[in-house]
Amino acid sequence: MKKSTVERKYCGNCGNHNAYNYPNQVFCGKRFSDDKNPIVDTLWCCEDWNPSSQECYCVREATKKQG
Amino acid sequence: MERTDFLGEPVKHVRIPSKLSVDELIQQFKNSSSFGAGRLSTACDIYERMVRDEDCTIFLALAGAVVPAGMRSLIADMIRERLIDVVVSTGANMVHDAIEALGGHHYKGHWLVDDYTLYKYHIYRIYDVFVPEEDFVKLDYKLASIFDEIAAENNGKSLASNDFSRELGKRLHDQDSILRAAYEAQVPLFLPAVRDSEFGFAHWLHASRKNVGQVLALDAFKDVPEIVGLCRRSARNGMMVIGGGVPRNTVQSAALASKKGMDYAVIITMDRPEPGGLSGSTLEETVSWGKVKSQADKVMLIADATIVFPMIAASVIERLTGGFKRVTNGERRKLAVEEPE
Repeated sequence: MKKSTVERKYCGNCGNHNAYNYPNQVFCGKRFSDDKNPIVDTLWCCEDWNPSSQECYCVREATKKQG
Repeated sequence: MERTDFLGEPVKHVRIPSKLSVDELIQQFKNSSSFGAGRLSTACDIYERMVRDEDCTIFLALAGAVVPAGMRSLIADMIRERLIDVVVSTGANMVHDAIEALGGHHYKGHWLVDDYTLYKYHIYRIYDVFVPEEDFVKLDYKLASIFDEIAAENNGKSLASNDFSRELGKRLHDQDSILRAAYEAQVPLFLPAVRDSEFGFAHWLHASRKNVGQVLALDAFKDVPEIVGLCRRSARNGMMVIGGGVPRNTVQSAALASKKGMDYAVIITMDRPEPGGLSGSTLEETVSWGKVKSQADKVMLIADATIVFPMIAASVIERLTGGFKRVTNGERRKLAVEEPE
C-alpha cells in the first residue's frame, strides 16, 4: 500500500481538518475543542499538526487558487 | 370456493390518452389491478381512506435517503396540510433537512464515479447524489451552538427526541424544512435513533469543548410513553412506511404496546422477508405480533419510494378536491406545548 507523503505541513493536509470554504479555508476540530476559532486558512499551519490518514486535494487546490 | 369465484373480474388494459393526470393513471392501474401497478393503486386507496378517516392518526415512518433524493418539500407540505399526524424518522433524514435549511445543497451526481477522487475533493456520495463535506461541517458548527442554547434553556433536563426536533424546528426558518413544518404544524417528530446520524457527531463536537457549559441531554426512553400514548388515545391508527428500519419498528411497536394494532398500513420497501430483518418483513408477519390488525386495510409495495411515494401523494391530493380540509386529531393537539414563533 502506497504511503502518503507530505512535503510541507499545512492545515489542509493535517489530520484535524475538514472542508469548510473549499479550498481556501478548513475547519479544525482540534481548535474547536480548544475553544479557538476553528476556521483557518488551508495553507496555514500550527504546532498541533498531525498526519492525515488519506490524501486530499485541499492544499493543491488552495495553492492553485492562490496563484 | 367455486371455480367461478376465481374468475370474477377480467384485467382491463391500460389506456393512455394524450393527457393523463397522476390519479387518472392510478385509476388505469386499478383497472388492470396487476402486480406492482395494482398494489400502487391499492396503496393510494388505503392512504385516501386514512386521510378521510377523522379518527385516524397517521404515522409516517421515514428511513432511507428520502431527503437527499428530493422529497423534502413534499413531506413538509404534507405535514402542513395535516396529511400526516406524526413523523418518525432516521436522524439522517433530518440532518439532510437541516443542511438544506442552513443553505446547503444536495447535488445531482452519478453512481459511476471514482469514489476516491470524491474523497480527495471532500464530497460524499449517496448513490447518485453528491453532498459537499462543508455542508455537514457548517451544520455541525451551527448545531454545536444550537445545542448550547437548548441545553442552557432546559437547564440540564433530558429531552425526548420529539422535544429535540421541536427545538431544532423552532430555530430553522426555512419553509421547505420538514423540521420547521412539524414545529409550525405541531406535529410530533420522533428521532428514535438520533445518535446514529450527524446529530451524534454534532453533539460530540458540542460536548468536546474545554469550556462547554450545559451539555445537551437526550433520553430515548422518554419517547416510548409519548408515542405509545398517541396510539392509545387514537380511535384508529394508520402508518405510511418508507423503507423500514428503526422508524418502522418504532411505529409498529407503539401499536403493539398500546394494544391497538394498526388499522391501516402502507409499506414501501425494496427489502425481502427471507433474511428475517424487519425492513422486509411482510404485513402478514406483522399481524402475528399484533402490530397490525388482521383485518387492517393494508398493502406492501415492493418499489422505489422515490417513484411511488410522490405518486401516492399526488393521486390522493388530486382526489381531495372540493375544499377538503382534514380534521386534525384532537389528541395530537394536546401534545403541543408551545405556539410557533
